[in-house]
Amino acid sequence: MALPNQGTVDYPSFKLVIVGDGGTGKTTFVKRHLTGEFEKKYEPTIGVEVHPLDFTTNCGKIRFYCWDTAGQEKFGGLRDGYYIHGQCAIIMFDVTSRLTYKNVPTWHRDLCRVCENIPIVLCGNKVDVKNRQVKAKQVTFHRKKNLQYYEISAKSNYNFEKPFLYLARKLAGDPNLHFVEAVALKPPEVPIDLAMQQQHEAELAAAAAQPLPDDDDDLIE
Amino acid sequence: MDADAVAKAFVEHYYRTFDTNRPALVSLYQDGSMLTFEGQQFLGAAAIAGKLGSLPFAQCHHDINTVDCQPSGPQGGMLVFVSGSLRTGPDEHPLKFSQMFQLLPAGGNFYVQNDMFRLNYG
Repeated sequence: MALPNQGTVDYPSFKLVIVGDGGTGKTTFVKRHLTGEFEKKYEPTIGVEVHPLDFTTNCGKIRFYCWDTAGQEKFGGLRDGYYIHGQCAIIMFDVTSRLTYKNVPTWHRDLCRVCENIPIVLCGNKVDVKNRQVKAKQVTFHRKKNLQYYEISAKSNYNFEKPFLYLARKLAGDPNLHFVEAVALKPPEVPIDLAMQQQHEAELAAAAAQPLPDDDDDLIE
Repeated sequence: MDADAVAKAFVEHYYRTFDTNRPALVSLYQDGSMLTFEGQQFLGAAAIAGKLGSLPFAQCHHDINTVDCQPSGPQGGMLVFVSGSLRTGPDEHPLKFSQMFQLLPAGGNFYVQNDMFRLNYG
């Protein structure tokens, strides 16, 4: 869903809501996409900046209208107007801050209260930072709620496209859909240690084979 | 000093303190003080200061647009209603807000008995 003063397109487009604690990198993440950054619009009455992010798939173009807050989440929960008509979502936390992961269930609950049964990706951002507080194997919330999880690093562009590809596949109902053109992104601002990240991904895969802890929503002490 | 002048002085003091030395706001509240902050309720100076201190931004700058004031009740209290905008960083969009205070007299001064804060957006 575009803002009233924003251009629309003749190919499929979807409202994507991005939620998560303040400071987890939601704005940094959406700003990586250069054409979206160019065409973004801010609407002060609802306190939202909408970035139209285009991707080219083997089935044609797809646009995500990414709704990003103006920082209201630092004060409390978001209003329903932010979520209404959301067709897909990204919940973001910061792997260097346990509290932001602990708050993921609250964001998920608020989102699902308004948007029932939409595809959701959980993103653990800032995996380029050496001193992680939330280890890959500690991330279990997505398994309880059937979300997709990706480790990302907005500043290094690591896995930038993954959440969008997952959502595009779900929205198109085509698990084989793939992107056929590279998206123009801002140049990486930090390097990522790929060997280290492969180890995290391996830990994540190993953890996925383990039974879930039964601590329900009380995630990390 | 008339009520409007007191209200104006309070508002200037409150937001200057909020923006430069947030922990010092605790002295404006008492044990029976109440804060409703974006719908979340807090009772007592300690809980209120805890909430304000835990807001996840280091910088904040309030710009006040309007201050309205009325005398309130036989004890010589005052209702103060503020509207304005705030920014939590130089690159952030300003957020509009409204805030209402009930000030009650205590020992020749005023304290905040009631405080309600809302961001104004859709």
